[in-house]
Amino acid sequence: MDQFLLILVSGLASGAVYGLMGLGLVIIYRATDVVNFALASLATVGLYAALALNERGLPLLLAAMAAIVTTAAVGLVAREAVIRPLAQGELLSALVMTMGVSLIAESVISTVWDDQPRLFPSLVEGSVSLGSAAIPAQSLLTIAVAAVAMALVAYLFGRTSIGTAMRAVAESADTARILGLGSQRIARIAWALGLGLAALAAFLYAPRAGLVPTVLSAPLFRAFAGIFLGGLTSMYGAVIGGLTVGVLDNLAAGYVSAGYRDTFVFSFTILVLLIRPQGLFGVRTFQRV
Amino acid sequence: MSVVSRSSNSLVSRSTLSLVSRSTVTKAALGPLAAAVLLVVLNTGAIPPYQAYSVGLAAIYTILVLSVNLLAGWAGIWSIAHPAFFALGAYFAAYGSTHGWSLELVLLGATGCAAAFGAFLGAAGARFSMLYVALLTLAFTMVSLEVMGQWTGVTGGDQGIPMEELHSALGLGTLASAGTQAQYLAVGAAGIALAVAAVARPSALRMRLVAAKSHPMAARSIGIAPEAQSALAFAVSAVFAALAGVLLALVVGFVSPDPFSLALAIALISACVLGGAGTLLGAVVGGAYLTWAPTVAESAGVAQPILQGVVLIAALLFLPGGVVLFLGRTARRLLRRPSARPATPVEPPEESPQRVPAPAATADELLRLEEIAVTFGGLKALEGASLSVRAGETLAIIGPNGAGKTTLLNVLSGLVGGGRVAGSAHYEGKSLLKSRATARRRLGIGRTFQHAETFPELTVLENVLCTRRRITAHDRDRAAELLDRFGLAHVADRYPADLPFGLHKRLDLARALAEEPGLLILDEPFGGLDATERALLTRQIVRQQEHGTAVVIIDHVLDDLFAVAHRVVAFDFGRPIGEGGPGEILDDPRVRSSYLGQGGTRDELPARHGTESPAVHLDAVDHAYGGVTALREVGLTVARGSVLGVVGANGAGKSTLGRILHGTLPPTRGRRKAADDLRTALVPEGRALFKTLSLRENLEVAAYAAGIRGAELRARLAETTQWLPPRLRERMGMPAAGLSGGEQQVLAIARALMARPDLLIVDEPALGLSPAMVDEVYARIGRLAREGMTIVLLEQSLGRAASACHEVVVLHEGAIAVRGVPADPTFLARAEQAYFDGQDDAAVPVPQG
Repeated sequence: MDQFLLILVSGLASGAVYGLMGLGLVIIYRATDVVNFALASLATVGLYAALALNERGLPLLLAAMAAIVTTAAVGLVAREAVIRPLAQGELLSALVMTMGVSLIAESVISTVWDDQPRLFPSLVEGSVSLGSAAIPAQSLLTIAVAAVAMALVAYLFGRTSIGTAMRAVAESADTARILGLGSQRIARIAWALGLGLAALAAFLYAPRAGLVPTVLSAPLFRAFAGIFLGGLTSMYGAVIGGLTVGVLDNLAAGYVSAGYRDTFVFSFTILVLLIRPQGLFGVRTFQRV
Repeated sequence: MSVVSRSSNSLVSRSTLSLVSRSTVTKAALGPLAAAVLLVVLNTGAIPPYQAYSVGLAAIYTILVLSVNLLAGWAGIWSIAHPAFFALGAYFAAYGSTHGWSLELVLLGATGCAAAFGAFLGAAGARFSMLYVALLTLAFTMVSLEVMGQWTGVTGGDQGIPMEELHSALGLGTLASAGTQAQYLAVGAAGIALAVAAVARPSALRMRLVAAKSHPMAARSIGIAPEAQSALAFAVSAVFAALAGVLLALVVGFVSPDPFSLALAIALISACVLGGAGTLLGAVVGGAYLTWAPTVAESAGVAQPILQGVVLIAALLFLPGGVVLFLGRTARRLLRRPSARPATPVEPPEESPQRVPAPAATADELLRLEEIAVTFGGLKALEGASLSVRAGETLAIIGPNGAGKTTLLNVLSGLVGGGRVAGSAHYEGKSLLKSRATARRRLGIGRTFQHAETFPELTVLENVLCTRRRITAHDRDRAAELLDRFGLAHVADRYPADLPFGLHKRLDLARALAEEPGLLILDEPFGGLDATERALLTRQIVRQQEHGTAVVIIDHVLDDLFAVAHRVVAFDFGRPIGEGGPGEILDDPRVRSSYLGQGGTRDELPARHGTESPAVHLDAVDHAYGGVTALREVGLTVARGSVLGVVGANGAGKSTLGRILHGTLPPTRGRRKAADDLRTALVPEGRALFKTLSLRENLEVAAYAAGIRGAELRARLAETTQWLPPRLRERMGMPAAGLSGGEQQVLAIARALMARPDLLIVDEPALGLSPAMVDEVYARIGRLAREGMTIVLLEQSLGRAASACHEVVVLHEGAIAVRGVPADPTFLARAEQAYFDGQDDAAVPVPQG
């Protein structure tokens, strides 16, 4: 039972990270039709920058802010430079383009720093005992911070005019244009927001995993599985899909085999999609001539 | 291949055909030839051993890139799963070689497994979009990586396993690993793989793959099932990848998980993007790139991923289509080969079409529909539709926009998509609703599409040829004759995008007739065509009638429609409302009013002095989409404070005119003049509400878009909410999807009002609404007019516009046919005439009666 509780909490903590990254992916995809493969490596750039600043004496909390700002800024520059010149609706080209950006970003990290594993400091240390189980404080912090961030995103999209405008553009960019809504501004906000969330996820994940240039590629793939599970365009779906993948992933590692966690997670996702192609929260669309 | 032709009228296309086939043989020989030359060079020992090893690797990567590249280019599937198939072949070979398996067993096992997995991925992937296929194949590679790492008994885990020699069970000899023999074998195999691909290129297989990829729906209409195509394509591609894997094990002599990472998947995609998806030479370029990129990066002093990323980005930005296509184009430009402009188009001989009399009443019944109903979600698109078509008969179906005509055609061709169909349909006595869309072509049903949905990546000739599973010389002959008959022979090897719209539509029809259907279904065949093209089309239809083909045809261009139809059925609100001969159907008052509408009671409009300043002025405006003319020489002034009605049938150009007046669509020619501070708002056709947003949010977005924030936004929201009827006011927090059509229309108008426009343009506000709702919507528009708003009303119904507007213009095929004031007693008759045939007989004095 204690072991189960431990696995559940660590599964939720992993799931919170995947959920945040998935949320970032979905926000960017809905606003700009770009599946941002570079999300993980751009967030890693932010992490290395934060670590460098922290080592020069910047408090960790401010370094986390710096990570978010750096990631968003680098991402916006990349978008203006290479994504915007592509024609609208070029789903594949945009995806492949972000793969290129990702390759370059990872390589720049290993050139500027190196690819030796480093420790990334944590805001909290130790563990909290719950019954006889000792739950790592970092896991609880991850869950709490992710929950607050997700609540803020829900507030932004649900209660503010800019959030409403972003949802409107996501539903129909054409109609938004007829109303005179500038889609570029919305697109930039979405990129900054999505990448900021990814950087936050990275900041929560790195203390557990240690820092290497490819630290976030495994979480990125699981976030992908999560958003497909959730329906690709649904923000709730991204969070719930991410949490599901996180818990499954840790259950598989704890009870089945640590070596086959991806097999478990991806087989489950594909099975669900074969039965329900639109995902858990996606909308089935009608095709007409 | 020689083309034996009995007909003598298709010189142009025949020479093209033989050219194509001769070049196919040459191209197929190129791969093996290059491989042979390479083998000779390798054999002389002029290349140092390490370089020879690299050449062997390059050959293997060429096969691998080829398998990914052609799958992407021909079937439209971008696979991330190929590292897994590559690994499958390599591990099969290595494990087999150390366990005494024969060469044949290894080959059969590896290709068999790869084909089975590939077919599964392809079939599953066809149900999904490109992104889902990406996830599916990504998952396949992730899982295979884990299996490679964990299943140590077979794969040796991270340590890997050695590759020994393979013996043939049939006594064909022994393959040694890690030596020159393996390198030679790889080079030879690459040559053969290229030859196979070169032979497949002009085959029906590739045409059908490309057709299914670029337009699944049109592909179904000619009997191609996209699922089967993509399963087959993926299976073949996986087999090639697995063979490349076997060769890799042989050349390297050792197999470990290292080469099969996700990085390889990305590298393969880069190689395809760089070389150009769907090109054979591109695969060679890609293979060489994969082999030598590390060396180049090292000698240039940059990290390899940076080089790869930069190449990828540069290729996407500057060489869309790949380096091979780019070089080919550059070479052609440098050589200044005269661009293959079509010579003088050979028009089919002029002959005035004879009317083919209707078949006798005793003629066999070919098609019978009984009580057909179609629902999309909760929306009834069609109900109680019963009709029959006799052999050789031409049935025209008419009705206003949204009457259910296209849905009816889709029922016939099995393309209803997510809709549910009830009732019964029989074709030649066989039940139609149970047969799949792809089977109906075989039954003898061919169709065209409203927007001429041809396959853009196939040439004109291939568009017609791809209807066949296997292409014989006879098929090529017949296709050439067909193109000749349609005046398309001179563009046989061009792509549809190069054709003007008229030829495009001819091609669509030629494709539908390629297999001589017994029933031809035409979806708005006259729409968007000029007079010459329409006359040509009429002749083609008459020709089919002479052959005894039955035709079902819908269109809005009534005069042309009536010229070929034997019988006309009119639809409105998803059900038939009248039937008759082409000369009499419009005499039916119900049919007439379904188009023209009943004039409501004429509300009082504010008086005009005729001295009001213009709000917007259009000066000789033309507009064209692609090659299709939507508006011609439109000159129009909208006076401030007036209500202008723009009336016309579907496709007359109303929405285009609305967008141009609104200012969001710049006209192709001519000028729009408006005051700088003029605020315009458009209520688009079909409302275009944000369905997932609440009523309040729909209004909020409009204000936000107009740059209004904070307290001002809240004030306007409150003000506009007061304008809404009470039953909407109570539901401000509900999603707009829950509103009825009429409520949606009122909300859409309210949304436009949030910007406080000076000019309000409303596009088809009555579309799909019940009569009572139409009255309510019009009452609100009338009230806005009395409050001084300038309004442009785009209407299908002349009667409604006449009762609500100061001034009405009638659009017919993009030009203003008549303009006048409804108060003028002669105006309505003139407008009615112009509505149907575009003629204004005002010049002739109208006798007063």
